[in-house]
Amino acid sequence: MSVLPFLDWIASSAVAKVINGPEWAFPVVQSFHFLGFAFLIGTIAIVDLRLLGGGMRRQSPAELAKDLKPWTLIGLVLMLTTGPVMFSADPRVYYFNPSFRFKITCLLIAIFYHFTIHRWAIRPQAAPIVGKLAAVVSLALWTAVVAAGRFIAFV
Amino acid sequence: MSLISICESIQVTDLSIAIREGALYYPIIGGIHLLAIALFGGMVLAADVRLLGWGMKSSTVADVVGQLRAWKRFGFVVVVASGVLLGWAEPLKLYHSKSFWIKMALFLLVGVHALVFRKAVYGNPERLDEAASMPGVARLAAVLSVILWAGLVFSGRLIAFDE
Repeated sequence: MSVLPFLDWIASSAVAKVINGPEWAFPVVQSFHFLGFAFLIGTIAIVDLRLLGGGMRRQSPAELAKDLKPWTLIGLVLMLTTGPVMFSADPRVYYFNPSFRFKITCLLIAIFYHFTIHRWAIRPQAAPIVGKLAAVVSLALWTAVVAAGRFIAFV
Repeated sequence: MSLISICESIQVTDLSIAIREGALYYPIIGGIHLLAIALFGGMVLAADVRLLGWGMKSSTVADVVGQLRAWKRFGFVVVVASGVLLGWAEPLKLYHSKSFWIKMALFLLVGVHALVFRKAVYGNPERLDEAASMPGVARLAAVLSVILWAGLVFSGRLIAFDE
């Protein structure tokens, strides 16, 4: 199955009809998307700032990450469900939008990074410099995801 | 001077025109606004889930409230400053937007919330750690905080779709 018929199939799906239905549907779904990434990125930022020495010093980074994990995951799930719903509103436009492509690339890297390298770097036995580097890369990746997302509507 | 004439004079300032018509300013400021929402929102969420006993349990309330305060303030300042710039670009649109006024009302309530709960909750977290169970007033503060915060996100997003 090539991509274009697949995109058109998404555009004609029931989900697309709902998101393209009432005027408030898109902004409401988008608001949930914002809440999702605030949960996701906000909780990751708390761990990253801890790695960089900014706050929550009585807990280890690994402890903090474990404590915040349910909220990070809720954010991730919220973001990954509302995102595709928004995509279905206009699949061809998003698919060919350079900012969207950049965002999705960064997102895939960021998610992969978060569950592999980042998780490894926040272990108590990791060297502090490794944790600091991991935090900077993490913050940069998530910043790129959000910034590129904002640019989708402007390119 | 009426509010609408103030909006009209903002609308024609160089800064307003630059943000509105420059291709890059608006999305860049918008991106900063979103990132600050994530930072500020994450800090608010962490404090609220701790107060509700839904997470962050290996940290004391005093740590969650006290040690994240600087980041919370930083996020708040950035989100307000970038928000003002975004608003500066289109004051007339905002003047006529119902969602904008709802958002401003909620924003006012955020201030009221901070004042009302400062003494019993946020200004004195050590006492909450000493309590046998989390006092109702702290739980109420947390629930209202989440509702206000989500309400700000929703009303803010709806501004772009008002017409």
